[in-house]
Amino acid sequence: MGWFDYVWLGILAVFQGPEAFAVLGIAVPITVLMILMGFLIGVAVGATPGLAGPMAMAISLPILISIFGFSPDALLPVMGFLLGVMKGATIGGAVPAILFNTPGTPDAYMTTLDGYAMTKQGKARKALRVAHFSSASGDTFSDIVLILCAPFLAVMVERYLDLPEKTALLILSLAFIAAVIGGSVGKGLISLGLGLLAAYVGTGEDFYPRLSMGSQTLAQGFPIAAVVLGVLILGEVFKSLEDLWRQNRVSGTISVIEQTGDQKLHWADIRGLLPYIARSAFIGTAIGALPGIGSTLAATLGYTSGRAAHARARRGPAFGEGAPEGVAATEAANSSVSGANLIPVLSLGIPGNAAAVFLILATDSIGGFNPGPSVFRFTADVVNPELVIAFGLFTCMMIANLLNWTIGGLFMRSMGFMSRIPKHILLSTVLLLTLTSIYVQETRMAAVWFTVGFGVLGYLMRRLGISPLPFVIAYILGAKLEESARQAFAATGGDALFLFASPVSISFMVLTLLVVTFSLRKSKEVSP
Amino acid sequence: MPSSERANLILGLSAVIVGLGIAFVWVPADVDTGLIEKVRRQVAIGDAFAPTIAASFIVLGGSLVALFESPSNARHITPANLGFLAVLLLTIGVSFAIMRYLGPAIAEVLTDDGYRPLRDTVPWKYIGFLAGGAGMIASLISLIEGRLTRRAVLVGLGAAIALVAIYDLPFDDLLLPPNGDV
Repeated sequence: MGWFDYVWLGILAVFQGPEAFAVLGIAVPITVLMILMGFLIGVAVGATPGLAGPMAMAISLPILISIFGFSPDALLPVMGFLLGVMKGATIGGAVPAILFNTPGTPDAYMTTLDGYAMTKQGKARKALRVAHFSSASGDTFSDIVLILCAPFLAVMVERYLDLPEKTALLILSLAFIAAVIGGSVGKGLISLGLGLLAAYVGTGEDFYPRLSMGSQTLAQGFPIAAVVLGVLILGEVFKSLEDLWRQNRVSGTISVIEQTGDQKLHWADIRGLLPYIARSAFIGTAIGALPGIGSTLAATLGYTSGRAAHARARRGPAFGEGAPEGVAATEAANSSVSGANLIPVLSLGIPGNAAAVFLILATDSIGGFNPGPSVFRFTADVVNPELVIAFGLFTCMMIANLLNWTIGGLFMRSMGFMSRIPKHILLSTVLLLTLTSIYVQETRMAAVWFTVGFGVLGYLMRRLGISPLPFVIAYILGAKLEESARQAFAATGGDALFLFASPVSISFMVLTLLVVTFSLRKSKEVSP
Repeated sequence: MPSSERANLILGLSAVIVGLGIAFVWVPADVDTGLIEKVRRQVAIGDAFAPTIAASFIVLGGSLVALFESPSNARHITPANLGFLAVLLLTIGVSFAIMRYLGPAIAEVLTDDGYRPLRDTVPWKYIGFLAGGAGMIASLISLIEGRLTRRAVLVGLGAAIALVAIYDLPFDDLLLPPNGDV
């Protein structure tokens, strides 16, 4: 089995999988249908302020698992749907930012600066077209980088990293995530420590499940969905509901601006936008490939560098005054994060953002695919099914990109009405939806209470300015870190300094120290 | 001391105390093996090791927040925050209590055998979920809007019915709350 055979098998796994239905005698594969559904739902969710892609991914997961079961055949349809949601939500996020000056996500804030200014000038549809073209370009570019880089990175990791090095790499990744997310190393480390602690409750190798306080409920550990959904979704819902309560019925009337003039995107427009899109796509992809750095930073950097170039060119309206280049620079940057964010997931098994957390949650629930370097083991004599799935996933991403280029723009422009649904109605519904989704998965009230408890933790963390993402990522990686450390310790014959046994692991540990120290100094410099 | 620095100090010291409590009280009392243990004459990492490392991250993070955190990053929780959280939790708690006990209570009054044999039959399996779920959404919307409206009740009911349609109608093997517990 060579490279090409695996690629071909991956493509066939998508197109020759179970059939959903047939149109004029041509079978429509279930995976393709699921990607389409996920994509459309993702655009709708992204276009709704207050909702986000990870929320839709969390809620749909138990339904998908009920439909497709726990067999490896379920992986591609379920993951295809989730990837569709991820990509759809990315382009959908620009809709409320451009039409109503209400960024659905923090990275869409930069889109409002020029997007809404264009709407006020009567060029809303043109702004949406620019956003769609830039977003789809950035996304496609970053997917190509993912497909080219992830297998090589994974092969390098497998070839050159042994157990102590892998442990050191996990420590480096966690330190990096704690240091860069949220802008406070100290708070990041608290979040990280709490996440690891949650992962270790009710587990261990001893007969007595550790930290279970003699309780049978705690002895089973916390359900992974309860922890992740509680901290990420419920924490945000609680905080947003309180913010809305405080705003207390601030009038949300939206004045209708008449849209006039040329709304089309011409080749001349595209030619002018391409340098901005290319620059931002590089920035977004580079940032996305590092675990823990989100699309907000990419959007900010993309916008800032685009603004500098635009100021030098002195052409058209300035950034912030309705420049299509401003929309393009932001959207290309934040969209190119999503594909590249999967590089650490697929090559190292380390999730870099909330969407990646839910992809790992899906593979963990279904089984048969463990993201990490072992996925890309090219076996010549026996088929490596995980590698076939990986190339199937790449095929799914390309299909989602095709949908993005073909129907994405049209569907995105039709979603403007979603922005008018009151946020508190959406959030209250999301709360019931999430708790019902947890119960359906776990079938016990204890899981609901755990979710609410972790929701309270997520709320308190947000109020204290502690990012919940290091918590969730540490929770997911906690077991892997401990297992890897145990094996490395045993393999080195009980060497207490196993993390400093080879030049590679030493360099990872030194980098860990540097990341923490540098971030600490940087956060002090930033402070007024 | 400015309130922002005090907020960082309180958060940092609280984290340090929690971390030390975990490392020196909870872990030794609630984990049966130590940091390092000998298994068949081989030294291995014990179950206490990983939670102790987790606690040390919390202590380290707390120390950094207390000593080096920028005042611009200071956040604190106000009594108003806790008050809102309490109302929110009370709303969720009461709604889920209705969800859990309404069906069994009605079955207890109207039938001889109680709720359990009926929990997978219409309309019994929906009674608690619809009442509790719709009640929760309607209460939360009313809380934010400051008044109870017919729209809030209708939205709650509509959302609960939609969830029944999504989770229960197409799948025989899924159980809506509270039917897995009763």
